[in-house]
Amino acid sequence: MEKIIQCGNIFFSYNGTEVLKGINFSVSPGEMVGILGANGAGKSTLLKILSGLLLPDSGETLYRSKELLKLGRKELAKRLAYIPQDPVFAFPFTVTETVLMGRAPYIGRFEFEREEDRKIAQRAMETVGITHLKDRLISQVSAGERQLASLARALVQEPEIMILDEPATFLDVRHRTEIMKILIRLKEERGISIVAATHDIFSALYYFEEIKILKDGAIFAEGKTKTVVTEDILSAAYGINVRVKKDKGRVFVFPSD
Amino acid sequence: MNANKKFLISIGLLSALWLVIAFISIFTGTYDIGPIDAILNPDELSKTIFLSIRIPRVLMATIAGGTLALSGAALQALFRNPLASPFTLGISGGASLGALVAIRLGLGIGILGFSMVSISAFLFSILTMLFVYTVSKVGGVVATGRLLLAGVVANFLYSAIVMFIQFFSNFTESLQTMRWIMGSLDIVGFDTVWKTLIFVVPGCLILLISTKDMNLFGLGGDVASSLGVNVRRLEKKIYFATSLAAGSVISVTGPIGFVGLIIPHILRMTIGVDNRIILPCSFLLGASFLTAADTVSRTVISPVEIPVGIITAALGGIFFLWLLIKTKKEVIV
Repeated sequence: MEKIIQCGNIFFSYNGTEVLKGINFSVSPGEMVGILGANGAGKSTLLKILSGLLLPDSGETLYRSKELLKLGRKELAKRLAYIPQDPVFAFPFTVTETVLMGRAPYIGRFEFEREEDRKIAQRAMETVGITHLKDRLISQVSAGERQLASLARALVQEPEIMILDEPATFLDVRHRTEIMKILIRLKEERGISIVAATHDIFSALYYFEEIKILKDGAIFAEGKTKTVVTEDILSAAYGINVRVKKDKGRVFVFPSD
Repeated sequence: MNANKKFLISIGLLSALWLVIAFISIFTGTYDIGPIDAILNPDELSKTIFLSIRIPRVLMATIAGGTLALSGAALQALFRNPLASPFTLGISGGASLGALVAIRLGLGIGILGFSMVSISAFLFSILTMLFVYTVSKVGGVVATGRLLLAGVVANFLYSAIVMFIQFFSNFTESLQTMRWIMGSLDIVGFDTVWKTLIFVVPGCLILLISTKDMNLFGLGGDVASSLGVNVRRLEKKIYFATSLAAGSVISVTGPIGFVGLIIPHILRMTIGVDNRIILPCSFLLGASFLTAADTVSRTVISPVEIPVGIITAALGGIFFLWLLIKTKKEVIV
């Protein structure tokens, strides 16, 4: 099957420090991949390269077998949506206006949103469950609601792949669960591929079927969650001792002495 | 309300406001003549007053006020900060110094119709902007405290140099400089208007066609980029266009303060933050505001004209104070 994104032998350094050292990575249609790894392992950098936001020093990134950057920013924006770790909302737009900004790649320079765009935004807000917030200012809703708005904004881009950097890190357990459930639904109902970096190893193991673990800028382990996640691998990746328990087909991880 | 409806309504209302104010301004002044007399049977004197003083002056106030407010709105989008404006960022100071240096060096004559004074003002403004932006950016994000401090620093440096130049000027030159620094729309004839427009029109157009990208830029550089914006190019466009437009205005009028800060603020408080609406509306409201302020400045103690910069600075100061008190309990910066 044709891969949505495929990158080969990616090297990237920042201020003289090698952040990524020869990464090979691919995502198939409808796949949901979790990226784990300690702070500074290179997760965010990798996601930015996959999204075309950073150029690697060497190596190539292909989007459906074509060079990613040759696609053009606008065309890419209609296929790939990116949600950063810590989204900025510099001006107090309403939630609806914020979500509508995801339609930008479909709207001309001198055009305003059409009725159709507003309907798409309305549906996206329904999907993530923030219709009741539509007229509130983005600066006045909670961090969790803002993240849901970001998700809706990404959704109106009508992407086939969504790349999320720590989508749930700053959120409480309810919003965290909500976001993961929405992602799974998007994957199952619409076949959207999901790539998400996360610190939350516990929910990652719970929700993701594919896991890639980064360590010091290289892929340390990858594969089906159930097989990849072992005490040895996790302990080495994070530099602490962990124990892994499997119960009713689920994998649980907790620190040990 | 939908964005396009809001756009049309606000543009319509503000254009009407400008027309009314411009009309009043043209027929108000020390030399009293009613609109009917002026249009139906003008004498030589009133013809001269209207054609070479009042109409050029209203046009200059329109261009200056509109440009400063539009530039302020664009800078606020670029720095993602409501306190950015040509005045607070030291750009006005830079343009003033640039213009002053050119005037003192006797570069009053133009090259190919472009005034050297405007070009020098433009160069000083763009250098100031780059300085302020570089100094205030920490880890890819503009830090508000640093931004305003850098602006203050730039202003101090420039006023030191201006005072230095002043110190070595004779009395007449010194007085001229003083009057100019206060900010004034005292021009004669259309010549200055056309010369300013050569720079203002392209500058303002560049800003007005980038408003959609400015909205996306408010979501952060990465998100904007992922939505199809060439962020680097957008930043450069805003630097270039605001320096070009605001710099050339300031080179003619002197630093007229606070228009660039207050006008976009007032609009955001009333019609929301969409740059596609805020920028063009800032032009119209800025034009109306400065035309009105200028009318006051030349009539309040007629026949003496107060430099309009004094009026806008006073109003700006009061407005800023009010904003500070009002937002005491909110987090604004």
